[in-house]
Parts: sequence; C-alpha cells; structure tokens
Amino acid sequence: MTDRATRLRASNVRTALVLASIALVFFFGIIAAEYMGGPTAAIGVMGSTVLLFLVVAIGRNLRK
Amino acid sequence: MSSIPHDHVAGHDHDHAHHPTGLLRWVTTTNHKDIGTLYLWFSFTMFIVGGCMALTIRTELFQPGLQIVNPEFFNSLTTLHGLIMIFGAIMPAAVGFANWQVPLMIGAPDMAFARMNNWSFWLLPPAVVLLITSFFVPGGAAAGGWTLYPPLSVQAGMGMDLTIFAVHIMGASSIMGSINIVTTILNLRAPGMTLMKMPLFVWTWLITAYLLIAVMPVLAGSVTMLLTDRHFGTSFFNAAGGGDPVMFQHIFWFFGHPEVYIMILPSFGIVSTIIPTFARKPLFGYASMVYATASIAILSFIVWAHHMFTVGMPAAGLLFFMYATMLIAIPTGVKVFNWVATMWKGSMTFETPMLFAIGFIFLFTMGGFTGLVLAITPVDIQLQDTYYVVAHFHYVLVAGSLFAFFGGVYYWLPKWAGRMYDEKLGKLHFWTSFVFFNITFFPMHFLGLAGMPRRIPDYATQFTDWNQVATVGAFGFGLSQLIFLSAVVKCIRSGEPAPAKAWEGADTLEWTVPSPAPYHTFETPPVVK
Repeated sequence: MTDRATRLRASNVRTALVLASIALVFFFGIIAAEYMGGPTAAIGVMGSTVLLFLVVAIGRNLRK
Repeated sequence: MSSIPHDHVAGHDHDHAHHPTGLLRWVTTTNHKDIGTLYLWFSFTMFIVGGCMALTIRTELFQPGLQIVNPEFFNSLTTLHGLIMIFGAIMPAAVGFANWQVPLMIGAPDMAFARMNNWSFWLLPPAVVLLITSFFVPGGAAAGGWTLYPPLSVQAGMGMDLTIFAVHIMGASSIMGSINIVTTILNLRAPGMTLMKMPLFVWTWLITAYLLIAVMPVLAGSVTMLLTDRHFGTSFFNAAGGGDPVMFQHIFWFFGHPEVYIMILPSFGIVSTIIPTFARKPLFGYASMVYATASIAILSFIVWAHHMFTVGMPAAGLLFFMYATMLIAIPTGVKVFNWVATMWKGSMTFETPMLFAIGFIFLFTMGGFTGLVLAITPVDIQLQDTYYVVAHFHYVLVAGSLFAFFGGVYYWLPKWAGRMYDEKLGKLHFWTSFVFFNITFFPMHFLGLAGMPRRIPDYATQFTDWNQVATVGAFGFGLSQLIFLSAVVKCIRSGEPAPAKAWEGADTLEWTVPSPAPYHTFETPPVVK
C-alpha cells in the first residue's frame, strides 16, 4: 500500500472507531441509566448529548 | 450546490470486473454496486412479504365480524407488517440507494469498509428469517404491535424472543452500514468536493447515518432490557416487579421518532436530486436545504413524547412536546417551498421519476399537515390509536418514502442497468399507485375521525363502507406494484441502451461514467472544480 492509502486507511479506522464508540455509549448508557434509576435525568442527559454531538459533528466539518 | 463542473471522466474507462460469478459473486461481493443491488432486491422482496400481510389485514377488515383470521393472528400480522416494512423494506431500500449512489456521487472508488459492507447486508436475511419463523413457534409471532410495548411484550411467547433477536441483528446491520456511510462521505470525497458542494442526496444520507448511529443503540438497549425482564428476573419495565412500562415508551420513542426521519430524509435527498434534473434548473436554496435537513434531524430528538400524549404527562410536558413538534413544520416547509421554487419557471418535463417526485411532494405535504393536526395535544388525545394515525403515517411513509424510492429507481435505472425503462409502464405504475394509494388511505382519515380504533380485526357496522373502499384500494395498490416489477425486469432484459447521461438536466458525478456504471469506478478520483 502507498503512504496515501495507509494514511487514508488509518483515518477511516479512526472515524469508524469514534462512531462505534458513540453507538456503544448509547447502548450501554441507556441500560446503565435504567439500572441505576433516575430515568428523567438519564433521558435529559442523553438528549443533551445527542444535541451537542450533532452540533459539533456537523459544525466542525462545515468548512472542509 | 448548483452543478459540479468536473474536468474529466477518470479511472472508469476500463472494465476490470474481476469477480466470482454466479451465487458466489453475490455472497462474497465487496463491491458497493453489487451490495446496493442486493439491498434493493431484498427490500423489494420484503415489500412484497409485508404487502401480502397488509392485504390479509385489509381482507379481514373488508366487513365487520371475523372472516379469515383469528384475532391473535391478526395482531401478529399488524405487528410483523410494521416491523418488516420498516426494518426489512424501507430502511434497506434507503441503504441500497446509498450503496449505489454515495460513492458514485462523491467520486469515491467504493465504500470505506468494503468487507463490513458485505456483512451489513448479509446480516439482514437471517434477521428476517427469525421474524418470519416466529409465526411457527408456540404462541405465535409477536402480537403487541411493532412498538413492542410492555406488558404485552413481557408476557408474550417465544415469538417475542425471536423478534428481539431479529431487532438486535437488524440494528447491528444498520449501525455498521451507517458507520461505513459516514466514513465514506467524510474521508473519500473527490478532491475539490467540499461538504457544501455535495449533492443533497449525500447530505441527507450523512445526517441520516448520524441519526442511526445515535438511536439504533437505544432501541437495541431497550429490547435487551425487555429480554432480561422476560428471562433473567430483572424488572426494568415489568410492573409486577416494580418496573415502569411507561419508561419503555419514552425510550422506544426516543428511538422511534428519529427513526421516522431516518426513513424520510433519504427520500428528501432523492426528490432534491430528481426535481432540478427535470425542471432543468439548479436546486433552489441549496444551503437552506442542508440546514433544514440538519434542523429536522436535531428537532427529531426532542419530540418523542408526542407519540404518548395519553399516558398521563404533566401539562408542561404536553405543551413542550406539542410546540416542539410543531417547530418541525418550519424546516419541512422550507424544503417543500424550495422544491416548488425549483420547479417555478423551469423547463419541466414529466418523466416517471418527476411524476413520483411531484406525487411525493403533494402527498407527503398532506401527511405532514395531518401530523400537525396530531401534534395538537387535545386533538391527539381524541385521535390517539385511531385510523387517523394510520392514515397519517401511511401518507408519510408510503406516499413519502416509498414514492421517492420508486422515483429514485426509475431515475437511476439507466445508470444501474445500462438500459432505459419503458416510460409507458413507468407512468402507468405511477398513476395506478397514486390513485389506489389515495383510495386506500384517504378514507382512513374519516374512519379515524369517526372513532375507529387501529389494530382491531372486527369493528362496528357504521365503519363498513369506508373499510370496503380501503380494501379495494389496497388490492389495487398491491397489484400496481406488479407493474413496477415488470417495468424493472423489462428494463434489465430488453430496454433500449442508455447513454452515459440519461437525463438532459442531470449534473451529478454519476452521469460522467458510462451506463451501466462499470464494476469499478473512480479508481483515479475526479477533480471537482
């Protein structure tokens, strides 16, 4: 593989890992929040996280 | 994005289709075009399976009393019809479009993770097999509705376990597919293709994929808790053990409402591609379309409880969710305005894709308006779980998502198959679908307003007339889809050869490669100016 291809591959894996970690946090997060109780707070935190995540994810790429 | 000037047609002027042939090709393929084709045929098959369930439901409802199925089986049919249409037909169809079109539209050689792409698809058939086999296990298939609400889902038989596993598998497939799509769009765009130069279809899929990554794990988490409630002695949602069934509804709809936009945003992208082509004008308000799509996605996370106005929320909660829901009409209105403005004074022609796009705008807007009616809390309390709701979401998902997908298939078939479809068959398919769709679902507004509840196999006699009309319409709509199948098969087998640029007004990158698109495209990325 050329240098460019290697760099691209690494970049792809990095992006995928970030996205997969978000999915894992949501999966285990919702179960943990329910297990610990306090559903209102848990849903509030989840909602805010999603909003923040979307704003940051879209915002940081707008200028590319 | 008005148009993409590109200085070449690179890297696809040869046809190095080194791949196995026969069945092995389709099982082992890592090519985005093959996988897109697999997704699209799979989703059409599931559309027919789910459609047969719908026709059985409509046959049972042709007259009051019990005719052909028992009530439990009827409930299983409504449940599986919903699950199969959402997870087996609409979502895979959207992913099929993404697989075919995203790499071609951004000038990428393939998806970022080609092997994972193969896996994402091949997880789906076992999941659907689990769903369908659930009809044959003791206790029958899940029968508590596609929303899987407890306590019914906690008490149901083995069919519910199969459904939960199927949802897990389909969720994993969706998440892998979404990660692939986001990575492809962010990292593999052709030089010069900035985010704000991307075709709108790609933008809508980027946002849809983010939505999927955020909400599918929540659904997976909630059904996992259902599973542990059923078999491992936990009481997350089991009221008998101190659990909270209403909490399941909150969590489910935190997934469920974004899911609605997951199904409709790719359709917005398809319509935004078709209309400028046949109006021969650039899309009006490209940037506002992008921001409207993002706004819809963000708002979709804060409106979930409008699906559960009747569970007994505080008045402040009811008001918040009512107003938040109404806010979605603003970005959606921006989109509808922009589509109409794109057509304004355009040199329009009305080929089949354009007919489906205009049909989409007309009927989706009606579905949107009934959504606004249902957003009004006191009205929704009256109409909750009536046929008005059934009419509303079928206007959004059938006339919305499905019509856009039909339009997309006719639009891109020349590129996929290398042949033109039969325009007469396409138009016949559109008009029969349009007419029979309205015959089927418009009367359901009357039935709902008159108080007919959904998910019942029997009903009071005053609802008979409109139910009979709806049943006749449903069979007409079902038979219309055979026209679609024949149009596609005829196109593939004996259509006129298609030129590289099949539509005069098309200006996205896929039209720079030959038709049919070679097995490998853009191995040397094109430069977008």
